[in-house]
Amino acid sequence: MTATLEGSGVAGAELRGDFAISVQNLAKHFPIREGALQKVAGHVRAVDGVSFDIRRGETVGLVGESGCGKTTLGRCVSGLTDPTSGGVYFDLTTAERDRLGEIFDVPENGRNAEMVVELEEIDRLHRIDRIKKQEWLRYRRNCQVVFQDAFASLNPRHLVREIVGRPLKVHKEASGDQLTERVVELLERVGLGRQHLFRYPHQFSGGQRQRISIARALALDPELMVLDEPTSALDVSVQAQILNLLNELQQELGLTYLFITHDLSVVRHMADRVVVMYLGKVAESGATSDIFEDARHPYSHALLRASPDVDDDPAAALMTLEGSVPDPARPPQGCRFHTRCPVATARCGWEVDDVVRWLEDEPGMFDALSDVTRVDAFTADLVFADESAAAKLEAALRSGKMPEAARQALVEVRRDGARTHIAFTPVSEVKLTRRGPGHEAACVLDLTLDRV
Amino acid sequence: MTLAQASDPARDTASISAVASVVDLRVHFESKAGRVHAVDGVDFDIRDGETLGLVGETGCGKSVTARSFLRLVPMPPGIQAGGSVLFRPHHRCSNCAGEGCLECDGSGRLPIECPDCGGTGCPSCGDTGMQTIDLSTLPEKELRRIRGNRIAMIFQDPAKALNPALTVRDQIAEVFYQHRTEEVLERAGTAGGADLLLHRHVNQRSRWPERALLSLPPLRGRRNRVEEVVDEMVAAALAETQIPNPTKVMDRYPHELSGGMKQRVMIAQALACNPDLLIADEPTTALDVTVQARIIELIKDLQGRHQSAVLYISHDLSLVRRVCDRVAVMYAGRIVEIGVTEEIFANPLHPYTRGLLAAIPGRGHGRGQLVAIKGTVPELIDPPPSCRFVERCSFAVDVCASLDPEIEFGSGNHGVACFIHNPPEGAAEVPSFSRRTS
Repeated sequence: MTATLEGSGVAGAELRGDFAISVQNLAKHFPIREGALQKVAGHVRAVDGVSFDIRRGETVGLVGESGCGKTTLGRCVSGLTDPTSGGVYFDLTTAERDRLGEIFDVPENGRNAEMVVELEEIDRLHRIDRIKKQEWLRYRRNCQVVFQDAFASLNPRHLVREIVGRPLKVHKEASGDQLTERVVELLERVGLGRQHLFRYPHQFSGGQRQRISIARALALDPELMVLDEPTSALDVSVQAQILNLLNELQQELGLTYLFITHDLSVVRHMADRVVVMYLGKVAESGATSDIFEDARHPYSHALLRASPDVDDDPAAALMTLEGSVPDPARPPQGCRFHTRCPVATARCGWEVDDVVRWLEDEPGMFDALSDVTRVDAFTADLVFADESAAAKLEAALRSGKMPEAARQALVEVRRDGARTHIAFTPVSEVKLTRRGPGHEAACVLDLTLDRV
Repeated sequence: MTLAQASDPARDTASISAVASVVDLRVHFESKAGRVHAVDGVDFDIRDGETLGLVGETGCGKSVTARSFLRLVPMPPGIQAGGSVLFRPHHRCSNCAGEGCLECDGSGRLPIECPDCGGTGCPSCGDTGMQTIDLSTLPEKELRRIRGNRIAMIFQDPAKALNPALTVRDQIAEVFYQHRTEEVLERAGTAGGADLLLHRHVNQRSRWPERALLSLPPLRGRRNRVEEVVDEMVAAALAETQIPNPTKVMDRYPHELSGGMKQRVMIAQALACNPDLLIADEPTTALDVTVQARIIELIKDLQGRHQSAVLYISHDLSLVRRVCDRVAVMYAGRIVEIGVTEEIFANPLHPYTRGLLAAIPGRGHGRGQLVAIKGTVPELIDPPPSCRFVERCSFAVDVCASLDPEIEFGSGNHGVACFIHNPPEGAAEVPSFSRRTS
């Protein structure tokens, strides 16, 4: 942006670090309230322990199905939502980032006094919900958001001049004629012009509205833009215009993008690095070419094979996944994807809930189930109304009705009348492991593409 | 490219087996700013058993075209300004009772003979010998017998299209009650319509005194038997769409189901009566990719088994390429190009089709090098007689702004409405792909 920053209390001082954003162990849980007293009955774990970095000037694509927590994560990064635990750090040098990573590798209760002091220090300077007011304002102007629905995110009763000029006013950057000129400059930058100044959002098409959103986001000359599905409401020909515009802006202004989308062809086109999320966790992350050509997580693989590409052979079958995404209030143990994984093994975290889920889909069985007494997630007593149902379950658990991997993980099945005791091998959570330079996947197997 | 007239013989033979034909359809909307020509002269055939894709951007009129089949466009403000939608219904094959045999090519359906000429061909059936119904003038009462029975529709957002106050069982049962009354009674062992009360009950016409009678002992048993039969039919329809444990899903309300499951329920409902034509209006747009893949496979699989013709509406070209046999590209209320899928994708003739294909971010594009079509879709208020694409076309010349190109068919039934391929007679300058004008 050519305009100088003047009259601003919080000058947009240059960022110095290599890492624009570092997300560390971020979690956001939403309470489920029930009953007349609105007692908290549980938590939806929208984001559940996510870590990744965004270097300056790069585009990170965040992909996943609806409900996997990608939008919540975007809102946490942009400071619109406070995380439940973990933190978003901004403007870190490589040394600080490495130290932070080391500290977070140690579980919270195992950190020594020195680490705690050091973490406090980094938190105070860089964590967006701990920094001083001045710094917070600096972050807010450096991190702007473009939302999915450009109609809902533009005030229908404001003129374009007010919408795009609003950030400049809030940060006391310009007023009067000067503001108008700055707005015109911004509009021209995104392919609109002076003639659009005094119009309302409803007078624009979808693509033009998205351009206005981008102009508003650019007003304060930000470093980082969080793009939350910026093109999913647009047609392909207009989507192409917007993607080209975003690229141009990135090249001219050196912007950093966090690009949230469910469209893999867009991510492949835009992103330098990709983070694949599933049910609030990172399934895989790495360079775009690594993910698209050498996916190591069965979920990323399924996602890629399920989305048709125009350049692909149309006769090749699309890969389909069985079942649906489990309830995020009770995420599966071990690997969260094991309930739908085509290559699941005994080590993937089979648990009592898998048996309950199976019962739900089996005619008549779920109605016969009267109680589940859990010892832990892997061991429980299932109590049935009659003995025949319990016997049926016992037989099913030993037969081909259950996945082979689940049967291998089953250590004990004991029927005592209408009560069936089952126990699976306990498995801890599957961590992200290194698969190549900058390429990590959370899978117990070391898969290559063609084996899935 | 050889020029052929609209009376191309290949096209005529093709239209003989067409299950539905749209003839010069014009649907306009009255608005404060003027008359919006949403659909303005659309012509195409849907052949028996084929999948025809209708692609185009938002506001090009593809949904209005589809809704015109079942007259679901609200009038007013809509105006049927001309043209018609012809439909040639089939009935159940008498040879195999819908099971599928050699005579009906495994589809279980046979075309109905034209009542005027008895299958020899007359003007009222367009010399096809098949019963031809004009859906745009059909009385409402008769149209209701076709809706959901011979022509069924899957809507974009299953969350909105399903009734939130009815269980899945009740929504699907309605199709059987309305269109399969006799079959339900027959299966329940009360055939012949002797029992008027029960007949009215199955037809959903009974009033409360009748319902009270039916719930009392002498009739209750027979009513329950009917309900059981319908339950079985609903369960079978649900099982067809690979829903696990259909008897349990039947008692659920739509909000208790996931998006993919809701779409399956809609598909089950649409295919319950084994329709001749299925209209799928963006059936996967509201779904995730992994779910979308399953729904697509399901539609393809069911279509293969039922041999229904499908009109598949989508804005996603990569999907259409996988699903459809033929593709029609719509722009601003017109069809600009129509042809066999491979032809369209391998050799797109219209500049708009070329632009659409180039705009998809595929692996062949470098970053920031998508070929975007400049400008936006024009407003369709009282359009001038010119090519609708002229303002966004990079090859347009003077003649494009003053004359309206007609769709003309070349080799292999590949039709295109563009002066590049069909130059007008006596034009001073002819557009060409080799010369960019803007």
